[in-house]
Amino acid sequence: MQQFANPARFLKIANILLPYIWAITAILFAVGLYGALVTTPPDYQQGETVRIMYVHVPAAWLGLFVYCLMGFFSAVAFIYRHPLADAAAKTAAPLGAVFCFLALVTGSFWGKPMWGTWWAWGDARLTSMFILLLFYLGYMAVWNSIDEPTRAAAIARIVALVGVVNVFVVKFSVNWWNSLHQGPSVIKMGGPAIDKSMLWALLTMAVAYTMLFLALHLVSLRSEIASRKLRQARLVEIGNR
Amino acid sequence: MDFSAAHVSYVIASYAISGACVVGLFLYVLSRDRALAAKLKHQQEKDKS
Amino acid sequence: MLQQALALIARDIALARRQGGGLGAAFGFILSVMVLIPLAIGPDQILLSKLAPGMMWLALLLSVLLTADRMFQQDFEDGSLDVMAMGKLPFEVVTLAKALAHWITVSLPLAIITPPLGLLMSLDVSQLPILFVSMIAGSLALSLLAAIGGAVTAGLRRGGLLVSLLVLPLYVPVLIFGVAASSANMGPSGSTPALIVLCAITLMSLVISPWACAAALKAYLR
Repeated sequence: MQQFANPARFLKIANILLPYIWAITAILFAVGLYGALVTTPPDYQQGETVRIMYVHVPAAWLGLFVYCLMGFFSAVAFIYRHPLADAAAKTAAPLGAVFCFLALVTGSFWGKPMWGTWWAWGDARLTSMFILLLFYLGYMAVWNSIDEPTRAAAIARIVALVGVVNVFVVKFSVNWWNSLHQGPSVIKMGGPAIDKSMLWALLTMAVAYTMLFLALHLVSLRSEIASRKLRQARLVEIGNR
Repeated sequence: MDFSAAHVSYVIASYAISGACVVGLFLYVLSRDRALAAKLKHQQEKDKS
Repeated sequence: MLQQALALIARDIALARRQGGGLGAAFGFILSVMVLIPLAIGPDQILLSKLAPGMMWLALLLSVLLTADRMFQQDFEDGSLDVMAMGKLPFEVVTLAKALAHWITVSLPLAIITPPLGLLMSLDVSQLPILFVSMIAGSLALSLLAAIGGAVTAGLRRGGLLVSLLVLPLYVPVLIFGVAASSANMGPSGSTPALIVLCAITLMSLVISPWACAAALKAYLR
């Protein structure tokens, strides 16, 4: 872990790995999309609309996973005070927020033909995902509101850590609320059982999305490091005048 | 995929917006990276001189 | 240490009383909301009384949120927070004391005032006792969580909107279980577990809030 802490070393490793990661991402997407759209069968009950699952579920998984990752980076930053950990959390946020947003939109598109409404508070997962988006926006707003980077990092860390605890409490609360207000029919997005070929396509897409996130995150981190160097160089320049 | 099935428009819309966001993110992240790298290089050359 | 903490709470209460620490404005806000909601929903008595517990909890939440950003701001700006941070009292106890003072001067009074206002929304009178209990039980959590928002934005000039964005997700569990605890039509089997969970959430906030507030304020004070 320590060897990745050095920015210069990180950049070297990242630059070597990136082309391979992009390549793997492209291949996985190609295979996954072919599976999702061509080879897998339509669902017995839902018909073709089940294909939305292949873009909805990976986005939702990633939306949640990235938030936990942000919490992890923030915890590491809190304990070791390393600026790279802060940068990792900061750069992960916009990516996670986009995945979260995608999960909500595709979820809504999946729900409309199934339930007849664009939105259903009755699905606990949709509700929790919406609140997760608010968490992301709040975290990003903290970075945007505070000019001084060290102070922004310190505050953002706290917001992320409190947020991670709260995500689980909210999930629990919404599930409970949902079970309380549930009608006779159980709204379940996945359907009763999942066909094996569908599972493969789903997993391929999930890994494809994850690789995509990894690639985008590494590039974002590289940008963030460059941005900091730029800021410091400019400050030195102003100081030298 | 059966393009004439019911509700196919929702499927197409979902994939379209997912694709748009993914491609959009890709372009945004990479263009920002390139711009910052260029600015940094410019700054470092200024410092050397 | 207990004496010092109590002294701090007393100081904040005295300050709030002298300056009108936000309770006046919050009370005015709740009154306005109580008038606007029936106007927005319509005169249907049955519908109003059904919606009443939820709407009142919402009004309570938003009113407490209104006073959140002033919790630490004044002491931050005039330097008193600096002094408190350097004192012998652990900073976490300081932030807890301030949150408790806020609870005593704002959230608790609001929690007591709001249920009777529910009668404006055709609230079923038999629901009043449960509403009192649940709102008072939840009011401490509201203050503690609002304190986190106040601490995170203490050094910002226009932190108001950010406070809302940060605190509202924290309020979601309190809202869900608070409303559930207030509904007499669920009977004791429904509302009592919710009340217990509400207390659990309060206990969790008692642990998380002082830590988070102290850490955030220290970042601003450095």
